[in-house]
Amino acid sequence: MENFRKVKTSEQDSPLPFPDLPPGVVEMKVKEGSKIRNLMGFAMARMELKGTRQIVFSGCGRAVTKTITCVEIMKRKLGGLHQVTKVHYKTLLEVWENKDPQPDGQVEKLTVHKNVPSICILLSKDPLDPNEMGYQPPEPRDGIGSLPRETCKLKGMRGQGSDRVCSRVWQCVVTEAGKG
Amino acid sequence: MGGWRQVSGGWGCSGRAGGRGAGRESRGAGAPAPPAAELALRRRLPPRLPRRPGDVYVNMQTDFKAQLSRCQKLLGPGGGCAEICIHGLGLAINRAINIALQLQAGGAGALRLAANTSTVPLADGLEPQGDADGRPPLAQARNNSAIHIRVCRVAPPP
Repeated sequence: MENFRKVKTSEQDSPLPFPDLPPGVVEMKVKEGSKIRNLMGFAMARMELKGTRQIVFSGCGRAVTKTITCVEIMKRKLGGLHQVTKVHYKTLLEVWENKDPQPDGQVEKLTVHKNVPSICILLSKDPLDPNEMGYQPPEPRDGIGSLPRETCKLKGMRGQGSDRVCSRVWQCVVTEAGKG
Repeated sequence: MGGWRQVSGGWGCSGRAGGRGAGRESRGAGAPAPPAAELALRRRLPPRLPRRPGDVYVNMQTDFKAQLSRCQKLLGPGGGCAEICIHGLGLAINRAINIALQLQAGGAGALRLAANTSTVPLADGLEPQGDADGRPPLAQARNNSAIHIRVCRVAPPP
């Protein structure tokens, strides 16, 4: 394989896994190099319009984490959003070319089908079907990301060795969280 | 087994002096932060999450095949789990999805996936190195994305 180099990568178009979406729904295709501030700047501006009821975030491979992060940021900023998450494989078609041409001048080409994990997340201001696989209701406004104080302290205490220092840090964080 | 332990490096991992966290705004102490070179960044464990028999916490240290076969054993006959929940945090999200999709592909259409996403609050410690003169360690809070994929044999109850 070391004599080959990748000359082309193409994605096979797959329809969105949400059947009853209105036409013209905003689809954010998150890529590996996309900047979260650019994505969120555009997506938030569209979602703040009254007419936009739904938005889809999709990403594959190394962009999956970024996709989820965008969705989590949007849920936190807007609140009251219903979510459906779908995971599937996306097929990538890679064409590899041999660097050393064959004696007859032809270039040897290889086509590789790659399956990469991919995620598609629908966020909606309107209620969605709660029985659908991967449905998540909106989070209650005050309960996002906060854990009961008692449990946090207990968690900080476990472990051996440097546990004394660790628990101090934890309590520090817990107090901060409690205030804010 | 300690949940997310391997994902975040564990309690005992030694941080880098003046690492990437050192330049950021530090919280948790009233005193001004010491210069960056004196701090060691220690990444801490995320809060412990439920650990039922059907919970699998995916990490990037363990071999992929081992984690996949563990899930297959749990779901298979004698595994004792009608459904399992695969959790992945940060970089391990990809692997969690991969495991779930591999399970589904090998399950001959009998398995269904329900993915949920969440945010996990993490706390890093910034510990002064050497002569700490009683200064308390600084803490830094950040968030990371996580995924929780429920794999079940039939449609789950709502």
